[in-house]
Amino acid sequence: MLLISSLKKKTKLIAIASLDSPKDFYIPLEGYRYSMGLVVEVGTHLKKYELVAESEGVFPCKIHAPVSGVVKGIVSIDGRSMLHIENDFKETALPLSPLDLRELSLSGLTDHLLDRGVQGAGGSQFPTHLKYQVEGKRIDTLIFNGVECEPFLSADFVLMKERYLELFRMAMLLASVLMVNRVVFAIEKQHKELRNVLLKCASGLGMELEVRLVPNSYPQGGELQLIESVTSMKIRKGFIPSDYGVLVTNIGTLWAMYNAVFEGKPYIERVVTVSGNSCSNLGNFLVRIGTPVAHVLNQTKNSCDLSSQTVVIGGAMMGKAVDSLDSPIHKGAGGILVLKKNRVLVNNCIKCGLCVDVCPQHLMPLEFVRHNIANNIEGLDSFNLQDCIECGACAYVCPSDVPLMENIFEGKSKLF
Amino acid sequence: MILNPFIKPRFNGTQMVMIDVIIALLPLVFVGWLAYGGVLIQLIGIAVLSALLADFLFSSLLLKRFTSVLDGSAIVTALLLVFTVSPITPWYVVAFGAFSAILFGKVLWGGLGKNRFNPALVGREFMSVFFASIMTSPNIWKFKDLIQTPNSNFFKGLEDGFLSDYFSSVLFQTKGAMGEYSIVCIALGGLYLLLRNRISWHIPFSLLATFTLLNWLVGDIGLSYSMGGILLGTIFMATDMPSSPTTKNGKIYYGLMIGVATFAFLKGGIRYEYMSYSILLMNGFSDQVSLVFKPNAWGVVGDWKGRLEAVFMLSLKIGCAILAVLSLYYYDLIHFLVFIYIVYVVLKFNYSFSNKVNNVV
Ligand code: SF4
Ligand code: SF4
Repeated sequence: MLLISSLKKKTKLIAIASLDSPKDFYIPLEGYRYSMGLVVEVGTHLKKYELVAESEGVFPCKIHAPVSGVVKGIVSIDGRSMLHIENDFKETALPLSPLDLRELSLSGLTDHLLDRGVQGAGGSQFPTHLKYQVEGKRIDTLIFNGVECEPFLSADFVLMKERYLELFRMAMLLASVLMVNRVVFAIEKQHKELRNVLLKCASGLGMELEVRLVPNSYPQGGELQLIESVTSMKIRKGFIPSDYGVLVTNIGTLWAMYNAVFEGKPYIERVVTVSGNSCSNLGNFLVRIGTPVAHVLNQTKNSCDLSSQTVVIGGAMMGKAVDSLDSPIHKGAGGILVLKKNRVLVNNCIKCGLCVDVCPQHLMPLEFVRHNIANNIEGLDSFNLQDCIECGACAYVCPSDVPLMENIFEGKSKLF
Repeated sequence: MILNPFIKPRFNGTQMVMIDVIIALLPLVFVGWLAYGGVLIQLIGIAVLSALLADFLFSSLLLKRFTSVLDGSAIVTALLLVFTVSPITPWYVVAFGAFSAILFGKVLWGGLGKNRFNPALVGREFMSVFFASIMTSPNIWKFKDLIQTPNSNFFKGLEDGFLSDYFSSVLFQTKGAMGEYSIVCIALGGLYLLLRNRISWHIPFSLLATFTLLNWLVGDIGLSYSMGGILLGTIFMATDMPSSPTTKNGKIYYGLMIGVATFAFLKGGIRYEYMSYSILLMNGFSDQVSLVFKPNAWGVVGDWKGRLEAVFMLSLKIGCAILAVLSLYYYDLIHFLVFIYIVYVVLKFNYSFSNKVNNVV
């Protein structure tokens, strides 16, 4: 079990604030597994909320215009293609149509979620409507994942603190559509002050809610680890939790679902924590998808220098470092972190076994390095590389700075 | 491209690990200094210098790593080596021991972390093989006149004479090798390492438990062993990271088998080196132990029958190895093991390890 000092105190009490919108938006065109194709032409004038790109197939996704403006074309940032939209600052918007709740069916709900482009806000950006396509399965437990085990991030915490009414309305709707009795909000022990607030409000709404406090360890917010903490079921990676009667939804996703269902709004904005050990002005902000990091940092009066600092989209453990400050916020990005550069001093593995100790999936990370270097695919497979959730815990504790993540990613690319 | 994670814990490098081990050894240095004063400091100085020199020379020459001497592991090896010998060991023998500990125990394997055997113990075996007449003569353990602070009863106030004797012998007792004088100080170092998470409780616990249990059930080895020696080996050598298993259950099994081997060796009449032999023997199996006790991945149902069979076969192998060592000891052939070892590492280095110097595992 790995404890990382959470460093959330810095931001968790700061209320959600809004930012001015930037002139240039870069809409990420990566869907889930497949990239999305444009449905608008270059040069068209867009209205806010208009669909701009979608992907089809097994994992369909959609993305919408966060502002009104002109489609400028496709650019590549950090090796990914983005749709450049120039803001006209008029905010002319399409009319919003909330979901009709009177004759609500599960398929009606999932269709609506797809149409509004709701995807997992916890990081993986898994299309939410697919998660809820559970016709014919019996769901016993709905878990809402408020466990942001990543250090620094507090976006889900402030959502729970400030927008619990919205969250509860959506949670109640889901519970009634799926006919679930057990609704669990999972939060970390360090946020236990939230428990009574949530319980009180839930009882006021006549909702049966269980608030589960889970340890502050990392990666407690991982779907499989959380399911175990709440239901004591250990589900192997690659199996689908709803087959076991459990559905886990991130708090950020729940809020996006609320906006989609009750207000009819596509997923065009989310709460993002700006923090980091080298960041001067911290806070939680409502940021539109596609906003470049540089703009957010400017607006919050932070300066940064990529030669001595690392700027990360997402969390410090699992996020992605950016090469260009034009990189935009995507649907799964809970934070922008400005961090001191890690000093990396690679030594031989000293077989301390710490990586084995902390691995939440009970793997032996050092063996991945051995077998990846030797190009031994069977070896990688027999040590269950495919079960790795890429949480980074092993690389975090390694005293020798063995390039564990490099070898894990490389090894995975050889496996599939 | 920088990969996640983007933060690291503070004070977490290999160097820091070694510094912690050195800190944990300081109480023992102090006790040794109480007992012998300058003599001990001289010996330590010689061992450390010789180890650092060997490390710098051969790491640069053979591994092309010019800074690995700074990681501090040579100092740890030298200190541990000094703690396993008698204070009147001639200085050149100690220097030779430290030198070969680094060369044959570490560098020829490919550097820190790749060594299969504990370097300090390897150095010690080299000393007893190449300076057999000095190291195994009974005179080497006769050093009464050197002692500056004799055993004294620190607990005179206690009424019960037996208890006060016992307490003071735990605190300070000038018998045997230099690291064995103070059980309290060894335990203190162990506690520090545990608190800093540099060692886990698994190996020391299962080793001591097994040894005590066997002693109690079978008994009959009298007082031929030194508790201080066993504790020193348990806390500082059996837990040596590179040469011990990486998995938790593996560590428990490993400690258990060291306990069994130590007991068997004592029972078989090995006088001084029971602890070194049993640790070195299990060092040789530590990779296999790690793998046999590979944890089941999350949500995977383990095949416990297969696991049981593997453990049984491994125990059988270890049992045979214990018997083999005992027979070699009877026929006074242990030194051949060291010769075979030398040939093995040198050949391995030339044909295999040297090509993989840049691999981190
Ligand atoms: S990144 Fe993979 S191997 Fe490393 S600790 Fe996480 S799950 Fe285990
Ligand atoms: S944590 Fe690093 S040094 Fe320790 S066993 Fe794992 S890879 Fe090796």
